[in-house]
Amino acid sequence: MKIKFIFLLFIGFYIAIIVRLFFLQVIYSPASKSLYLKTNKLYPVRGRIYDQKNQSLVLNQNSYQLYVEPKKVEDKDKLLNLLSKSLEIDEASISAKLDMTKYWVAIANGLTQEQKDKLDNLNLKGIGFDYQTKRFYPEASLSAHILGFLGKDNQNEDIGYLGLEGFYDRDLRGLPGFVETERDILGRPILIGVQQRVEAEDGRDLILTIDKNVQEISKKKLLEGLEKYQAKKGCVITADPKTMAIISLVCLPDYDLEKYYLFNENFYKNLAISDLYEPGSVFKPLIVAAALEEKKIKPDETYNETGQVAVGEYNIKTWNDKYEGKISMTRILEKSSNVGMVYIGEKLGNKNISKYLQKYGFGQNTGIDLEGEAGGYLKPTAEWYPIDYATVTFGQGIAVTPIQMIRAFASIINGGYLMKPYVVQKIISKNKTTEIKPKIERRIVSQLTSDIIRKMLVSTVENAEAKWDRPKGFAIGGKTGTAQVPIKGIYDASKTIASFIGFAPANDPKFLTFVVLYEPKSSQWGSETAAPLFFEIAKQLIVYYNISPNR
Amino acid sequence: MKNFFLRITGVVIVGLIVLNLFVVISGIVISDEINNFEQKTDKLHKANLTLEKEVANLSSLQFAQIQAQKYDFTNSSLPQYIDQLKYAYR
Repeated sequence: MKIKFIFLLFIGFYIAIIVRLFFLQVIYSPASKSLYLKTNKLYPVRGRIYDQKNQSLVLNQNSYQLYVEPKKVEDKDKLLNLLSKSLEIDEASISAKLDMTKYWVAIANGLTQEQKDKLDNLNLKGIGFDYQTKRFYPEASLSAHILGFLGKDNQNEDIGYLGLEGFYDRDLRGLPGFVETERDILGRPILIGVQQRVEAEDGRDLILTIDKNVQEISKKKLLEGLEKYQAKKGCVITADPKTMAIISLVCLPDYDLEKYYLFNENFYKNLAISDLYEPGSVFKPLIVAAALEEKKIKPDETYNETGQVAVGEYNIKTWNDKYEGKISMTRILEKSSNVGMVYIGEKLGNKNISKYLQKYGFGQNTGIDLEGEAGGYLKPTAEWYPIDYATVTFGQGIAVTPIQMIRAFASIINGGYLMKPYVVQKIISKNKTTEIKPKIERRIVSQLTSDIIRKMLVSTVENAEAKWDRPKGFAIGGKTGTAQVPIKGIYDASKTIASFIGFAPANDPKFLTFVVLYEPKSSQWGSETAAPLFFEIAKQLIVYYNISPNR
Repeated sequence: MKNFFLRITGVVIVGLIVLNLFVVISGIVISDEINNFEQKTDKLHKANLTLEKEVANLSSLQFAQIQAQKYDFTNSSLPQYIDQLKYAYR
């Protein structure tokens, strides 16, 4: 009898367990699951960015998000006061975020380890921290416009904006993973339970063509130049003319990458790739190269420069309204003669001018791997008037971006190849390294034309009307430019965009540098502002690249 | 025979209980270890980022500038070219 009773008791006990398990696992399954089954998102580490010598430009650092659980807060005023003091944030702005009706409120992002430790030591009830990473810039804002910044999208997820962060956001971001484990009441994994882990795939690292030393030289010199020539803004781009690998790209004013949110959107704009302007005389060598290529002119051919030239109802004159009589094609470049260029344009012909503008890639995006590029607009040939064909020969009446200009110029000195400009040379993931090779878009002029134009440009620097403090013993080629700024359809003579584009050494260019200064006040001329700044930079680059004198 | 069967059953039950205890305790120990390793990995990851930051700071141009000023290396001298001697003799 006793044994039967114990047996029935056991049976009853097991039935009770089975029923309870049935309720827990089948009927209340979703609710009970969350008690022991924990799923955590595994965040990938965002890719880092290095310069061409593997020196870091962007890394990740530890950071914390501070949150408050209002229901657990004992003394709201004390909490606000202490948080405000520790974080140096206005008490009112913390109070505005702290909604006491909610269970969880994020208060501040990007806290450092030191700030977290300081708050931990206060033993405040109801606060907690979530681990995050944030971007760290060892060279501060040296390359702000190239790098872009990491912001948040409308779902509060990290997203790259502008520059490389924007263009390569998918590569840098990586793929999140997750871990799903059954845990006991103390949070320890239950070994016989569910253990599923899908690893996050970290973002890819980028190795750039940028050299941070050249970047530093360019930025320092540009800053000095902006002050000296009282210019509103400016850019310096240096590239390898053979490949169009961008070695440095600086535009000022720029912004603080760590505190990008404190700056107006205008500061984010990378002028080098998005600002359309009329290039002025730096454009002339492109037309001369086209005319040489089409065998419409020869370098030693002469033109009789007698005075102003009438095109329709307009009169075109030289910058100083002085005329030298018989001059060679090279001399046209040396003295930057607008009337001489109109002559070359007439010889080249309107069809060829249009053809070469297309070939040089104006009106199209260059395809540089930076977010925010503007391609500009090249109006259809049907809309061109005779005066347009005349003025375009000396770089007025056409809008280009600095990156389009330097790319087109590189094509006439590198043997004739129009290259795609690029900033990233390697993309490195865990298992694979992808190399990005220079890409030839098309050939524009022959090697012979390129050799001739290089010599003409060296002569242009050596026999220019302005005399510059040039590095001695080096053959440097280049061209100045002074473009007037159209305001409501009328050119304002007092506002110009001064520029200089130059390369060295002339026989085998190692670097091509383009300097643009917007509205310089000390002088309106490129020859008196952008050109001296170029030579200041060139002097340092010659030493940096260990280029020995060649003449 | 009956007694023998009961003893065997008792021994088996006690053995199973001991085995069960051993499995449960081992599970707890291993779980603790997993927890520890997770925490250590996390700590290492954070320390790695901190070290990476320190290394980057030490190889930055800003640091080089500070050091150059500290040791008064502020003027760069012009190079002497020896592949074309006329420049070297200047």
